Amino acid sequence: MKVSYNELQGLCRKAFLGMGFADGDASDAADMVAWMQLHELDGLEALNRGLDHVLAEQQEPARAPATIYADDDLAVLDGQSYSVLSSSSLALELGFAKARARGLAVIKIRRCHNRQLIMGYLARIAGRGMNVTAFWRNGQRPLIEQVVGFRANGQVPEIRVYAINQVPVENAHNDGVTLILANHVELLPDMRSAYDYELLACHRESALLASRERAMLDGITIDDAVWNKLKHLAARILVESTEASRSGAGPEVNDND
Amino acid sequence: MMERISPREESLRLRAPERVMDLERLGSLHASRLSFTRSLIRQMARQRWQISATRFELDSNGHGTAIYRLQTPCGRYHGVIFSQPLPDDARSDRVIAEAWDVTFGVVEGEVDDALLEQMAANVPLQEAGRQHPRLLVLSRANRSLRNFNAFSQALSAGRQPDPAWLTRVGYLYRTTAVYGNGKFGIADFGRLRDNPDFQRPFSAQMLAVYLLRHFSIQQVEHIARCQAPGVAVDLATPLKRYLGIGNSTGLGMAPFLINHPQLIERWVASREQALAQIHAQPPSEDQRERLLALLDRAGCHLAQTLTADADQEKRNAATVSELPEVSTWLAQVPLTDNLWQELTEWGHRAFSLETQELINTLLLELYPAIVEPFENRMGVDEELELTPEMPLVRLKQLIETHYDWALAYDFDDPDSRYWFWYRSVEKEEPRLGVRGHDPGVDRELKLAIAPRVVDTHRAVIAYLDAQPHATVVDFLIEHSRYKDIVRRIQTMAETRFGDIRANLWDRNMQPMHLLRTKLSFFGAGRFDPKSDRWVRITLFQGAPLVEELNAEPDDLRDFDDWGFPLEPVLEASSCATAQGAMTDTQATNGVAS
Repeated sequence: MKVSYNELQGLCRKAFLGMGFADGDASDAADMVAWMQLHELDGLEALNRGLDHVLAEQQEPARAPATIYADDDLAVLDGQSYSVLSSSSLALELGFAKARARGLAVIKIRRCHNRQLIMGYLARIAGRGMNVTAFWRNGQRPLIEQVVGFRANGQVPEIRVYAINQVPVENAHNDGVTLILANHVELLPDMRSAYDYELLACHRESALLASRERAMLDGITIDDAVWNKLKHLAARILVESTEASRSGAGPEVNDND
Repeated sequence: MMERISPREESLRLRAPERVMDLERLGSLHASRLSFTRSLIRQMARQRWQISATRFELDSNGHGTAIYRLQTPCGRYHGVIFSQPLPDDARSDRVIAEAWDVTFGVVEGEVDDALLEQMAANVPLQEAGRQHPRLLVLSRANRSLRNFNAFSQALSAGRQPDPAWLTRVGYLYRTTAVYGNGKFGIADFGRLRDNPDFQRPFSAQMLAVYLLRHFSIQQVEHIARCQAPGVAVDLATPLKRYLGIGNSTGLGMAPFLINHPQLIERWVASREQALAQIHAQPPSEDQRERLLALLDRAGCHLAQTLTADADQEKRNAATVSELPEVSTWLAQVPLTDNLWQELTEWGHRAFSLETQELINTLLLELYPAIVEPFENRMGVDEELELTPEMPLVRLKQLIETHYDWALAYDFDDPDSRYWFWYRSVEKEEPRLGVRGHDPGVDRELKLAIAPRVVDTHRAVIAYLDAQPHATVVDFLIEHSRYKDIVRRIQTMAETRFGDIRANLWDRNMQPMHLLRTKLSFFGAGRFDPKSDRWVRITLFQGAPLVEELNAEPDDLRDFDDWGFPLEPVLEASSCATAQGAMTDTQATNGVAS
């Protein structure tokens, strides 16, 4: 099925509210998913894969990241195993504040999942004139790394996903994401490593802009089953109708005048 | 001689936000030359847009399909209208309706058979259909049965309908929703951002309504011709001009005003900046004469505006009674350089809100060269953004400076927290519930900004007690639920006029003011509230006709002068009276007025 960007964003927002997200988190999470889908990066599929986890974590009282360490240009946060949909926006805002003050900031969010979805918020930070790059590892053997870099005021990133064939000895499970923010210096991924690697995916800015253009013209393709799941979640915020509420809200039910 | 003042002087002359953003004042605005209907008509005339019918296949009852082509210098569009039979018991203006007399859309580009087939299968279903991404607008409308029957009967009898019909109800059709921006699969507004034809807010929606107006004229003439070939007459041009399109709007419009604060601020700021420029202009005798004529016309228009709503009737009557005083004063005073400023200030002291804002609306008519550049500044890239590095103490100051009006409410008073807003399961219609009485408070829509600001202020003060040097992001990491309201406060504090000032929980809050704010910027006239929660209005009444547009008028000033239309006077012998027609129709339909 085809939907519009605004429609996707709107339904996601309502679905996140239905899941129990606070208003600001629901809007951010919806923007993150819709941004991915707009650029043909399968945001809905990423959400769908982690949906049970996201639903479960909404039962927890506090879902913002907890600060483990912070100084003027570095912070380490504990994502507490929540989705980046809940935990990344304020971590990135923290990095933004530090980079504005110090020129460059590094933020590490430990223990988070759904990391693909962080891209939408990186776009937002970049839109405010900040160079920003995110790095994370997806698998251990083969070791898969992903780098997403936006230039300041860029609408789309350069993305590289690659497998490292020579796995280091120290290869502990890493479910974090490292964010580097720089006021003045571009931090785009550029594959120049001497290591033996296999490029698994390469999304260039021009291709992502073309994807967006296509989606704006033809609509965004989505999976009907996921769409219906979101509609179901969105319905949780709706209030049952009564005769009194129906009659108070607008014109008569019959308007033959 | 008009001379633009500097931005600094303009800024000094702007009215204060506490006056401008007061909800009751916003709810007293009238359509103006900055309204979207007016600027669309100007754009169409200026750029020589042409509209032609490429299909008009209706049966004798007016049911079938019509397609209108719009050619602009930059592109081609089509208005596609489906007219179908509708049982009387299914005719409802509510968003919860499921069928309508006409459904229609505006398409970017050509309409081939495949697209027409897709539209025929989906447009009549409206929200329940999947709409094509080349649709810019999706809408539907219901007939005003009384007017429609009266008009078709009169025309088929070879007579003109009494203009009084249109004074009572100014249209043959009223829309009940005009969707844009990606609703139900249609094109996102983002797609129009670089389109010079429709990049202004709501201009595509206004075009859809304008095309429906043209269709309504052609359709009723067609039905009359079918009923009485050789006898029926076409509608007289003054009546065509006097015929608009209605709109029925309920609480569904209210969330938009709150969820788009930057856009609403931009609309208000454009109007206020234009007024500040005008206040600095020394008047000429011609301008005084023009304003006197406009005051006279507006007064007559309001005297001819009928509403069953006692409060609106009182407001109209107050304006009608105050305008002669304005005219007398204006006719007598010397032409000082500060005349417009003095008129406005006197208005603030002496007259009702509607009269004050009517004077401002008419002042905007005097200076097209000042006002028109603002029509391109009515849009804004909407994004509420955090400034995370801001010292938290600065946020506290912003709240106390820009949201002092919100801090002034006493939310311990039950009347200050009386209502709550929610979305109903019925087509997600926004509704109001009484807190502590109606179900749904656990799913409240966060539309009331004032209580959230008060709550944030309290939390910020508490945090600062422990962390006096904290930044905004420090605070939010510990209190993330304030993220969106802090974003809003920081963003709107940067604007000239900020948020609408009202407590949307308050027992005495009037949702009607929210609706009228938006409708006035659309260009609505003849506000006819049916309760404090829904209203009928008229768009494009008095506007130039398609054939006048196609004739490529030379005098755009005259072409653009169609605000506050008056009932046309036709030869008595050519008319069917409204009274007689009303009786006939009531007898036919059993409908009370």
